[in-house]
Amino acid sequence: MFRYHLETALKSLKRNPILTALLVGGIALGICVSTAFTTLRHMYERDPLPGKTGRVFYVRLDSWGKDRAFKREDPSSIPDQLTYKDAQNLLKCPIPRRQTPSFITAKFIHPDPKVARPYQPNVRLVLRDFFDIFEVPFQYGGPWSKEADDKPEQVMVIDDATNRKLFGGEDSVGRTVRMEDRDYRVVGVLAPWRPPLRMVELGRNAEGPPEPIYIPFNHTVPQEIWLTGNNSGWKPVPINTFAEWIASERVWIQYWVELPDAASAGAYGDWLRSYIEDQKKLGRFERPVKYALTTIPGLIEEFHLMPEGVKAMSVVSLLFLAVSSLNLVGILLGKFLARIPEVSVRRALGASRAQIFWQHVIEVELVGIAGGVVGILLSTAILRLLGRFMANGDALRLDSEMLLVAFFLSVVAGLIAGVYPAWRVCSVPPAMQLKVQ
Amino acid sequence: MNVGPILRSMRHNRTRVVLVVLEIAITLAIVTNCVNVILAERAKMSVESGFDDDNIVRVLERPFTAEFRDEKFLATIIASDLRTIAAVPGVRAVANTSVQLWEGGGSSTGVKPAGVIKEPVGTQTYHGTKGLMDALGVKIIQGRGFQESDYGRPGESRPAQVTVISKELADDLFPGGDAVGKTIQHAANSNETMGDALTIVGVMERFFNPWGIGAGNGDLLGPRAMLEPSGVGSYERGIPFLIRTEPGAMASVVAEVENRLAAANPGRVFEVQATNDKKGSHFASSKIAVTTMSCIIVTLVGVTALGLLGLTSLSVAERTKQIGVRRALGATRGDIVRHFLLENWIVTTAGLALGILSAYGLNFLLVSHVSDVKLTWPLVVAGMALLWVNGLIATLPAALRASLVPPSSATRTV
Repeated sequence: MFRYHLETALKSLKRNPILTALLVGGIALGICVSTAFTTLRHMYERDPLPGKTGRVFYVRLDSWGKDRAFKREDPSSIPDQLTYKDAQNLLKCPIPRRQTPSFITAKFIHPDPKVARPYQPNVRLVLRDFFDIFEVPFQYGGPWSKEADDKPEQVMVIDDATNRKLFGGEDSVGRTVRMEDRDYRVVGVLAPWRPPLRMVELGRNAEGPPEPIYIPFNHTVPQEIWLTGNNSGWKPVPINTFAEWIASERVWIQYWVELPDAASAGAYGDWLRSYIEDQKKLGRFERPVKYALTTIPGLIEEFHLMPEGVKAMSVVSLLFLAVSSLNLVGILLGKFLARIPEVSVRRALGASRAQIFWQHVIEVELVGIAGGVVGILLSTAILRLLGRFMANGDALRLDSEMLLVAFFLSVVAGLIAGVYPAWRVCSVPPAMQLKVQ
Repeated sequence: MNVGPILRSMRHNRTRVVLVVLEIAITLAIVTNCVNVILAERAKMSVESGFDDDNIVRVLERPFTAEFRDEKFLATIIASDLRTIAAVPGVRAVANTSVQLWEGGGSSTGVKPAGVIKEPVGTQTYHGTKGLMDALGVKIIQGRGFQESDYGRPGESRPAQVTVISKELADDLFPGGDAVGKTIQHAANSNETMGDALTIVGVMERFFNPWGIGAGNGDLLGPRAMLEPSGVGSYERGIPFLIRTEPGAMASVVAEVENRLAAANPGRVFEVQATNDKKGSHFASSKIAVTTMSCIIVTLVGVTALGLLGLTSLSVAERTKQIGVRRALGATRGDIVRHFLLENWIVTTAGLALGILSAYGLNFLLVSHVSDVKLTWPLVVAGMALLWVNGLIATLPAALRASLVPPSSATRTV
């Protein structure tokens, strides 16, 4: 029966190609707008590390002075980063499965003079766990070893663009890169990687690309590596030497943990609490005990990383789809009612109401799905256009989840447009029209 | 004209009425809210920085040779670079400064009047050489900009510290006006200060540099700034310059500046950032919102008009016989046209009534996400007027076609 309905529906659609094109176009217009903006919103709202939901946390401690909170005007605020001291101490906690402190600096790379001039990219200092926590993809090699962290060894992970610039894109594992006045051995080359938000540091230029070069965090002190990112402080003491900087109360380290399971968040929180209380005995942490364990989606919300208007646009675009489908109701009504004589003959010959109804719904759903396909194609064009104006536009893509949503929307649009006309046409009494013919 | 028959005939066409009412209501809700967002974003984008944005370019030197680690060498090369840049044709002014325009960040501090116990006021804080005011193109409304004597010379005792602040900051610190001559201090809190007191020597008319992430404290810090006289540069962070060029000369100036600086000392590379590019990326999301919302409005009004056109054509086609009868009974062509226009007007108005509710409903839903975009009533009225006109235009073709139905058609098939 379904096949018969399908054939009838196709025949009916072919009978009036202009009208069919109008219907498909109407749905396509609604689908392309709503899919594009739903995708834009999804880029900010999806879980960037599925499979680790509720296990990866950004750690913050209220190490600020007693006079005021981190943000003057918000007493409940908490410093956005950690002091070096606290980062070192947190590393001793056995509870997290993986953890890494992190910050960025800028260092000069001296390529082979035949290849390129010296240039100064951002360099991120991390522990090897960083690559596993954020599921960073490699094309050659991999993260450095635990020993390289501890020693620390002069090893380096570079991204795809750097590898192409310095080594022409070949497998460069084992080659050396001259950074300032030291040689680093390449242990891993990242695959092209562009998450919508730079997860590891969301407090600053979150939409920017990930850093192109990574080296072990433990080089910080022996090499006296200053940061180029954000730092804040509250204690009015002068800082002139690196030793003073490291020992200071200034906050400049991002700290991430991956816990073995969601249940250990409580235990880790307790550990942080007792850590703060221990530090209080040493005269630090002047404010009431306070820490924050925040997930990536939590930070996206807290730092307002989704541009204003994206949510508004996604709501408006869905309403737009509703209007464009409502518009089709009138057209379909005209189309179906013109067919009443034919329908009443079929009814008189024994077709049930349900059969007539389904036949027409299938016809409309064919239109809906065709419109959906056209709409999805159009929306990829819109997304590409939108992406050109956004810093993180390269990450703006239709993924399989969004394709499903678009398909679902086109089915719904078809239903909005078609159910009422189909119901009207199927409630025609049999043989009523036969009288006048 | 008698409305009774129109209302009665509408009762027989409930579907059509409901469809039009729904469509008009949603359209009004979307159009008013979109226009609302557009107006808000445009207001945001039209904010004046107070600087000659079109003609300012930032050149950051990134040194990579060891000599740049030496403080004395840095001071010498900054001075000679300033001379080199100033000599390039097309350069109006140049300064070595930490000011970064439209960056969304920079340095901030708290300040308070010296010797007064008071909660400090948050402000942006930057350093720069003598040409800074000219390089920014800011107007000094009280006092003066920086001058040679504000900068100490090597070997001499340091001159008294001075600062130039923005009017907003001046008003916050000294609500009585006349900030020039007063002294202020960096402060962590109401009684802990840092460094020497600074004498305010000048007040800038306007200074705006967006600050902070998302809905942070940007509105607070944006217009507040204090500038202090000193050069800026280090091996790690590079040596930043702001160059203000003659209109249209930026490209040639930048190329020539790079050439001459590289010739003077090859141990560095250059990063160039035109202020307008930075401004553009700062407002990228606003621009996207304005463009897409405009497109949505135009398409939507068009789609709604087409929908109405379809529905009225359908209703004319359905009622050809009745129209013929009315014509036969003496109705003029004008009566028929008026009938359909009035019918449409009634339905549209009902839709708009529901639309006002849904417009405010949608606004309520959106306001919690988009800051300070409250729907205002003139906008709603304008939206209603637009849709009234739109409705009439969309009905007119069908109504005219209806008026052409000949009275004789009443006699044919009935």
